[in-house]
Amino acid sequence: MPESTFRPVWGVAVAGLLMAGAAASMAAVKPAAAVKQPAATHTIVIENMRFEPQTLTVRSGDRIVWINKDLVPHTATADAKAFDSRSIDANASWSFVAGETGSYTYTCAFHPTMKGTLTVQ
Amino acid sequence: MKMKMNYLAWSGVLALAAAGAWAQAPGPTDPQIAAIVVTANQVDVDAGKLAKSKAHSKEVREFGELMITDHSAVNKSATELVEKLHVTPESSATSQSLQKGGDDNLAALKKLKGSAFDRAYVDHEVAYHQAVLDAVDTTLIPSAKNAELKALLVKVRPAFVAHLEHAKHLQSTLSKNGA
Repeated sequence: MPESTFRPVWGVAVAGLLMAGAAASMAAVKPAAAVKQPAATHTIVIENMRFEPQTLTVRSGDRIVWINKDLVPHTATADAKAFDSRSIDANASWSFVAGETGSYTYTCAFHPTMKGTLTVQ
Repeated sequence: MKMKMNYLAWSGVLALAAAGAWAQAPGPTDPQIAAIVVTANQVDVDAGKLAKSKAHSKEVREFGELMITDHSAVNKSATELVEKLHVTPESSATSQSLQKGGDDNLAALKKLKGSAFDRAYVDHEVAYHQAVLDAVDTTLIPSAKNAELKALLVKVRPAFVAHLEHAKHLQSTLSKNGA
């Protein structure tokens, strides 16, 4: 679920603050550079038979959540099935963590007029 | 046969054109709109069930399955809303005519087989979705009094547009294949 994906991010942030407090002797704390950039969560809303945003660029390791706000079920299915949500019901969501870099075009397997592109860097 | 199917396709169109005529006269009431929406969806679910079991091409069977899924989903939302609003769907000349058009379409389709079935089903789906969209735009949305009922109609519209495009695409594929 989307909520839980924020916890690691908060965990890193809190740990960062604690370390900053404890290591007061260290003149310069470089939270962003010192730690590997935390993974982000991106949301793609499916509404009015469209993916919004239609094109999205993320980093490998980021989580992407598709939320279906239409009344009918949809899928997010990449060409060659690089990822495939299967059916996402109305008001339901599906997420996955981006792996291999590349540009993935995807469609709704039910409604071929719906197209999107996910770029993983 | 072609002429017959055209006639049947038009019977659904005429039912909704009658709804369009109300744009001049007082429009349908919310309970009448509720019944029109439920009937319009159910008619297409029933045709989809026949296509799922009878269509020759895989694409047409899948389209039939999609119509079952999507129009059932829309009806689920519509039914939940009218229950919440305490609206009792009320039959009207339009909803009855839609039902009759749907029944006639099924009866005609049941006599067909193979690619003739596919073409007749898809031709009807194109005409039907176009007619539903016209009715939604010219009559149902303008006439709906309750804001949530109006919002539901606005929300389902893009799905009907996608179905129409999908059906038109199938129609051109079938004619290219000379089916």
